[in-house]
Amino acid sequence: MESQKIKTGSLAAVLLLCLVPFLSSDYFTGIMAEILIFGIFAASLNLLVGYTGLVSLGHAAFFGVGAYTSSLVAIHLSANLFVSLISGLLVSLVAAGIVGFFCNRVSGFYFLMLTLAFSQMIYALVYRWGSLTGGDNGLSGVPKPTLAGGVALDSSSSLYFLILILFVLVMAGLRLFVRSPLGQILVGIRENETRMKSMGYNTTFYKNVSFVLAGGIGGIAGALYSYFNGFVSPKDIYWTMSGEVLIMVLIGGAGTLLGPVFGAAFIVILETIISSYTDLWMLIVGTTFILFVIFIPKGIVGLESVWRKSAKARAPVQTESPESVS
Amino acid sequence: MDILAIQLVNGLSYGLLLFMITSGLSLIFGIMGVLNLAHGSLYMVGAYLALGITKHVAPSFFAALLLAPLLVALFSVILEVGLLRPTYRLGHLSQVLLTFGLAYVVHDLVRWIWGSSVQSLSIPASLGSSVELFGQTFPIYRLAVMGFGLIVAAAMWFFQEKTRWGAIIRAGLSNREMVGGLGINITVVFTVVFAIGGLLAGIGGVAAAPILGLFPGMEFEVLILALVILVVGGLGSITGTLAASMIIGVVDTFGKVMFPQLSLMIIFGLMALVLIVKPTGLLGKQVN
Amino acid sequence: MRKTKIVIAFLLVLSMALLSACGQSATAPVSGSENKPQGEAPAAGGDKAPANQAPVKIGAILPYSGVYASLGENLTRGLELYFDTVNWEAGGRKIELIKEDEENDPQAALRKLRKLVEKDQIDFLTGPVSTAVAYALRDEVDSKKIPFLVSHAGGNDLTRSKGSNYIWRSSFSSWQIGHSMGKYAYDHISKKMYLVAADYAFGHEVVTAFKEAYTAAGGEITGEVFPPLGSNDYASYLTQIKGANPEAVYAFFAGSDAVRFVQQYEQYGLKGKIPLVGSGWLNAEDIRPAQGSSPEGIISTMFWDYHLDTPENKAFIEAYEKKYNQRPSIESIEGYDAGRIIAEVLNSLNGDTSDKQKVTEAFGKVAFTSPRGPIKFDPKTHHIIQQLYVIQTELKDGKTENKVIDTIGEVQDPGVQ
Repeated sequence: MESQKIKTGSLAAVLLLCLVPFLSSDYFTGIMAEILIFGIFAASLNLLVGYTGLVSLGHAAFFGVGAYTSSLVAIHLSANLFVSLISGLLVSLVAAGIVGFFCNRVSGFYFLMLTLAFSQMIYALVYRWGSLTGGDNGLSGVPKPTLAGGVALDSSSSLYFLILILFVLVMAGLRLFVRSPLGQILVGIRENETRMKSMGYNTTFYKNVSFVLAGGIGGIAGALYSYFNGFVSPKDIYWTMSGEVLIMVLIGGAGTLLGPVFGAAFIVILETIISSYTDLWMLIVGTTFILFVIFIPKGIVGLESVWRKSAKARAPVQTESPESVS
Repeated sequence: MDILAIQLVNGLSYGLLLFMITSGLSLIFGIMGVLNLAHGSLYMVGAYLALGITKHVAPSFFAALLLAPLLVALFSVILEVGLLRPTYRLGHLSQVLLTFGLAYVVHDLVRWIWGSSVQSLSIPASLGSSVELFGQTFPIYRLAVMGFGLIVAAAMWFFQEKTRWGAIIRAGLSNREMVGGLGINITVVFTVVFAIGGLLAGIGGVAAAPILGLFPGMEFEVLILALVILVVGGLGSITGTLAASMIIGVVDTFGKVMFPQLSLMIIFGLMALVLIVKPTGLLGKQVN
Repeated sequence: MRKTKIVIAFLLVLSMALLSACGQSATAPVSGSENKPQGEAPAAGGDKAPANQAPVKIGAILPYSGVYASLGENLTRGLELYFDTVNWEAGGRKIELIKEDEENDPQAALRKLRKLVEKDQIDFLTGPVSTAVAYALRDEVDSKKIPFLVSHAGGNDLTRSKGSNYIWRSSFSSWQIGHSMGKYAYDHISKKMYLVAADYAFGHEVVTAFKEAYTAAGGEITGEVFPPLGSNDYASYLTQIKGANPEAVYAFFAGSDAVRFVQQYEQYGLKGKIPLVGSGWLNAEDIRPAQGSSPEGIISTMFWDYHLDTPENKAFIEAYEKKYNQRPSIESIEGYDAGRIIAEVLNSLNGDTSDKQKVTEAFGKVAFTSPRGPIKFDPKTHHIIQQLYVIQTELKDGKTENKVIDTIGEVQDPGVQ
């Protein structure tokens, strides 16, 4: 019964998202595309932060690695979508494997800082290797991806649909994953790693799996961003980008499937609109963060439970057990 | 040889400057378990207040050095009581988000009040000249900063190890309930610690301003550096922070000269190396 | 149950966002010209009615936050000052300036460009400060055929390999800045030189251009070092430079880096012993107050100076100081000239911006005497041809002032080599 409702709801949401390019301007379609890209990116970090309990401040490394790899492949080898996207995915998976191997040896705040260290070193590498990456000027002139028949996805709506398809695939995949036994092990690690260890699980192995998976999905988001912009900047790897995506997860609600997507939508819309009206947009964005922590500590999806609680107070018949969100 | 010696002095002076900037962050994290991402902002406010004081109140660097950190401490108390206190029950990530939001707000407020162009605080005339050291010219102000940094380190050590307040604070770190049970108000302890952290950030800001300059954005530059030192030294250890500051100052100074290609990576590479070899930093305890 | 609600909430957010986007396009933000009455623009040129009565929209993507905020501010001030003098009108059309924050972030700037193009439907684009941002905007500008007057970003390739039919640059190229000092330094400063520059693409380009001209004149480079952009502490570099015992130092730094480097150059005892030359940002008008007396004696090249003694410059400075109660900076003159160039293009087209090819051709014909001296465009490279000046900083009553001590003459960027 419930899963039926979810199916209907998701289908309606996807349908509505499909209508965006037909109903709105190119500008708004562009913003929606960015929201979906950052939605994928935030959802991938959420796998670490929300489900496994590993707070990373270096997740932009894989976004950047995916973006640079697929752009470089598109420029120098083949603009074919599958070639460039899969190379972006593979290289970011490998990068995440290496970084994760080291980072998962430490925990807590040390983990956060070690991920930061690795992402900053990758940033420095990209910045220094100017002959390949364009250094601080970034990599421009990335060709639009082409399909098998040589058809280029060069209109904003065709790119939008590419992004939407991948968004739906990633979200559906994540939903399946977090409900799978493997996903449940990760949640177990988040809740109590010592207990999982004593139950005989090799927690380090599972944390590495989570890290690699998150890195790979982050890489896909990065590759999509480079198609979308036709440009990659080293800022995509810089710690400010890692901080921004972490904020998206926290604002949206860590440990929920859709929370990070809401967070991404909120941040992208907030920054786009506000910075057109005032130079002091950091003041407003910062105040928003503070207000969130004080009034909506569980993020945007927490709003829903606040609303439900007040509904409950009025009609005390519902007997749902809320999913644990922490 | 002389060049090596003077580079070592350069590294140590940079390291002690970094220690002054980081000590407050280390204290707050070690005792309260709060990762204060607005620490850089407090540092910046200290520097700008010093500029304001020397321009409008008393044209003396030393007056600013005395007054500005106190004002920053007062500002910190307001922040702790008004914003931070309600978030202690929410966990680390909430405080990270809150203090980061705060850093954004302070950034724009400073820009709004003092403008966005780069400014500088002049070195006091009495410390403005240079001396000969190992056959090289070395600014006296840097020597003064080194001495001052050592005094701050000694004072912090004395405060933590030898005074009643220090004992309470150390106890608060290991067992909050116990301190509460002894009839000591842990809430007040936290406010005081946060104020001291702010005071130290302010001192760092004033001392560094003549060397590093003042501009909106200076706080994020310093914040990342301070976080690195905090981790390399090990969480909750002032001695570790001091050691890490010196090591990073020296390694960075020599690294820039010997491996200029890697200059962007040195500090982060060092941090990664330390954490991989010793997952709790140089002198840290396991803190989750 | 719970999931359904989330989905519904998502749909709600989405439709609200849609609505807000639609609502916005009806009330596009207008800045700069809001104090002007909304009326029929007067017909220019007698009986010939202007082709289009709608206001001409100029999009400015400039940094209003981040490390370059003060540059963006000064560029805007110059731009608005010029539009003031023509009463926000050119070619018979009202001028509407739409400012967007570049944020020193290429992706954010690209987002702003899409907004300006799709929603505001701008006729001209001007800005940005960061070269990386300019490169990021390039493809979109080229494919959408937006006439783009680059008013600061100086990366060489913007008028070379990354050039576009629609991109013109009125500021400078890194080549012009670096190259201009080469021969002068050899003739007047020293036959041997040590190079130091901030480690980013622009810094490397300036130094390479300097090296090219300096070695062509016969000079010898004895060493070079590239401290990272935004370095805190130059002590180790300065010790290294001093240890190499060079005859003179050529430096490229800007903003807070220039303040720190020049101050520490004095503190570590290099000032007065080793002559310091460089680009004009080392001792620029807007940062010298923060440098104290340390920039005294620096010799640099730049395309404008506060003390340039021409009637145009005097008039500009007087108007600027009257309006803003502050001295103009290099960026102010860049903004001022960008405003005039766009206005001249509009005048020459009688306000008709419908044919983008004609608009871009009109840029090539603009030539006038700016406060910085006579300027014109090279139709081949789309780059400005301008004079460069040799500037020296002196100490006067405890304060530093710049003085123009020589003129390099017209410098033309060679384009694709």
